[in-house]
Amino acid sequence: MATLTVSAGSRTRVALRRLGRQRLLALLFVIPLAFLVLMPIYRLQTEALSNGAQAYSTEFGRERMPGTILATIGLAVGSLAIAMAAGTLLAWSATLLPARLRWMRVLPILPIVLPFVAGVLGWTFLLSPRPGYLNALLRRLPWWDHLVAGPIDVYTLPWIVIITGLTLTAFVYLFLSAGFQNINSELIEAAHVSGSGALGVFFRVILPMIRPSLLYGGAVALLIGLGQFTAPLLLGRQSDVNVLTTEIYYALYNRTPQDPAAAAAIASPLLIVGVAVVLGQKYLLGNTSRFVTHGGRGFRPIQRKSKFAVGLILTYLLLSTVLPLVALAVVSLSPFWSRRIAPGAFSLDNFRELFATPVLVDAVWTSIWISFLAVAICLPIGFIASSLLLRAKQLKVTRAVLDLIITLPLGVPAVVFGVGFLLTYTRDPFFLYGTKWVLLVAYVTIMLPFTTRMHMSGMTALGDAYVEASRVAGAGVVTTNLRIVLPLLRSSVGGAAALMFVLLTHEFTASLLIRSAQTQVMGTVLYDTYANGNYPLVAAVAMIMTAVTFAGVVVALSIGGSKVFEDL
Amino acid sequence: MSHILVKGLHKQFAGKPPTTAIDDLDFAIEAGEFIVLLGPSGCGKTTTLRCLAGLETAGSGAISLGGTTWFDSSRRIALPPEKRNIGMVFQSYALWPHLTVRKNIGYPLQARGTKGPEAAKRVEEAAALVDCATLLDRYPAQLSGGQQQRVSLARSLVSRPDLILFDEPLSNLDAKLRDDVRAHLHELHARLKFTAVFVTHDQSEALALADRVAVMRAGRFEQIGTPFDVFERPATEYVADFIGLSNRLPAARIDGVTRVSGVEVEGLVLASAQHDEFVLRIRPEDLRLAPDRGSLSGLTTVAGTVIDSVFGGRHLDVYVAVGGLRLHARIEARTTDDWARALRGGEPVVVGFCPDFARAYGLENEGSRLITVQPLVATKD
Repeated sequence: MATLTVSAGSRTRVALRRLGRQRLLALLFVIPLAFLVLMPIYRLQTEALSNGAQAYSTEFGRERMPGTILATIGLAVGSLAIAMAAGTLLAWSATLLPARLRWMRVLPILPIVLPFVAGVLGWTFLLSPRPGYLNALLRRLPWWDHLVAGPIDVYTLPWIVIITGLTLTAFVYLFLSAGFQNINSELIEAAHVSGSGALGVFFRVILPMIRPSLLYGGAVALLIGLGQFTAPLLLGRQSDVNVLTTEIYYALYNRTPQDPAAAAAIASPLLIVGVAVVLGQKYLLGNTSRFVTHGGRGFRPIQRKSKFAVGLILTYLLLSTVLPLVALAVVSLSPFWSRRIAPGAFSLDNFRELFATPVLVDAVWTSIWISFLAVAICLPIGFIASSLLLRAKQLKVTRAVLDLIITLPLGVPAVVFGVGFLLTYTRDPFFLYGTKWVLLVAYVTIMLPFTTRMHMSGMTALGDAYVEASRVAGAGVVTTNLRIVLPLLRSSVGGAAALMFVLLTHEFTASLLIRSAQTQVMGTVLYDTYANGNYPLVAAVAMIMTAVTFAGVVVALSIGGSKVFEDL
Repeated sequence: MSHILVKGLHKQFAGKPPTTAIDDLDFAIEAGEFIVLLGPSGCGKTTTLRCLAGLETAGSGAISLGGTTWFDSSRRIALPPEKRNIGMVFQSYALWPHLTVRKNIGYPLQARGTKGPEAAKRVEEAAALVDCATLLDRYPAQLSGGQQQRVSLARSLVSRPDLILFDEPLSNLDAKLRDDVRAHLHELHARLKFTAVFVTHDQSEALALADRVAVMRAGRFEQIGTPFDVFERPATEYVADFIGLSNRLPAARIDGVTRVSGVEVEGLVLASAQHDEFVLRIRPEDLRLAPDRGSLSGLTTVAGTVIDSVFGGRHLDVYVAVGGLRLHARIEARTTDDWARALRGGEPVVVGFCPDFARAYGLENEGSRLITVQPLVATKD
């Protein structure tokens, strides 16, 4: 940059140096982020292509591979279908809620913030063929009273699909309900006045207008479904249901020696699809002005069927959250897991055992403080990144690169990223494996899109005028950010930070791939305990996870209000 | 020497096709002068203002204040807004919601290094100037639109900047309040003599406030002059239309007879040897109506048919078809007789106007410029 500051008057030098310095600072910011995101992906590919890409032909030539791929697609498509249908229905019914029940709109979002691994465990306790509580209940029905197991087997692909779909519903709901709220009610009324009935309005006006939300929600759900790891890992093993993500995990942790090349090769299709979806969706939604329907009153349907809406939302809450949590609570209080619930035998023994086991206590604390640190690092990164993306108009190339880097982690499934982290941080120049820092680095990387998006939405909502007024009043960039932007962003950022903390405390997938014996978090010890078959203790760990989550959500809601979820 | 000097300012916005927001502008502003940029949305007035503020960077050209260069594309200088010592009143007022009125007004002082009792005193003075002395400890959300507007004005004045920029500051106020604030602003300028650039699309605001009005079109100044000049002698048809001469009468003089849209005109009219065809522009208020030519002696007249008559309180808006034209006459309702009030669609009527009030313009291919020909000649040889 110094080479630019030659000749001419001192003012020229000042101006040139300013742009040069800006570019230099921006690069200093972008390059480490690029390393964080691109290095794992790069290592993954070089590993897969090593030995003449031998791993591809070995892995994809295996006899069971076609079945695995089919199961992966089945899981993705099936859970997407469930999520789109149920999510649209829920989002629609949320608009039918009367004013005093408006708070219920937040309920269907809970499955996103609650630990999914706890939910899956809960469903195991409910629907496991023999001791599952719900199965036991169903067997009391006259036409099933001859059964000794079942009628439902949670360990089969259809139920893995259903349970995943139930959680994905929350994501679709999140995007669609935001979409519904952006529709100007007069557009709906105009369609009614022009002679359309309720169905006509829904299909000819509302659905086309929320197309961006549908597309976005669908894309997110598809990516999560494709990269789904928790449910197939916990449920699929018993009946040998395998998907690509579990194959990746087994290649690393079920083979001796570890086979990272195989894991990387199996990860390739997921990586390619993920990146393609992210880029394609960016391209498709490039010009969204056509869909902007702001202005006027918010969306209000003409007919109110609030009972139906309340019923639907409560049913979803029951299935996605309440039932599994109750099952977890029951098992965590019981001395052992059987189909009979014995309230008389309830005790806190499992929790006592948990807190007497140093590994478990350590894991809880590690989860909490590594998540806290990661959030503390992510906040300034998100602030700077969104400032660059929104305001540094003269740095076109830097901005485009930054945008890509920030968006990529959305498309890369956590399990794939996990392998990439493992490959990157088990070798020089950053040998972090076995330390807690590898978790920290991974968590920061995973949260990059979220922290940036939430800062961007906060800044966009703020508008340009406050910043411009400050600049015109004689304040420089730093003063403006400190005295105007930060104070005004405090509530939205605070809420979102609490949310990020929550999501990280129950991070499961990436943690499971990069943990070592010395670096355990709540999710990984939960899996180990589950694999050892100590179900009451597993339930206790899951309950602790849920409790931490609830505390975080309460903090998030009290700081940022219910709108904090919209930035997800 | 001029206070502010703008040379060859040019700005394009990327797009397909790219749009030219400012097209090679040159102008100077004297110290203490109040300049109004007037034009419809998209004419480049706000972009010009933002280039002056440093919130937008022009593609080429130069801006300087006194001896200080603010912007010079050839020397790659672009001072950021905070280095320009300016004040600005935004359309949305942009009062920071987390700061009290006192802190909002004091912000420019603090940002520029004035602190302590001196700053406190100047905040009080500025607030008193705009009648906001009692609001100092409130937050912006507790103020009405008019109060916010005044606080915003105080904030722009407080550090005695070299230039104050106004970005359509009155457009969010209701009609009555707008007149009050306008009068107040005029008074303040007369007292304090600050240098100002004011952007608006409202011609009456421009005429009331400006020392000079610049009418903008497609990134250029179509005309720049005193409000009187612009109002009385609009340089082009575009300016004439924008400033209220909304009736457009294409006229032709063939074989010694002047016709408007094929209908013969009687009386005196502007004409010259070079212009057999021209366009007359006239305000609705300057048109008169009568049942026959006899009642409009001394005026230039043309026959037409009433399309519609609309009651507007103190006045009547009568729309008259003349040939293929639709003319708009605004006549005072108080002084009109029963005849005018009883006008209905389809009735024949004579439209008259004093030829001095009409302006004649060349055709579009000649630039639609004002034709200045004296004396008036008869419409018929």
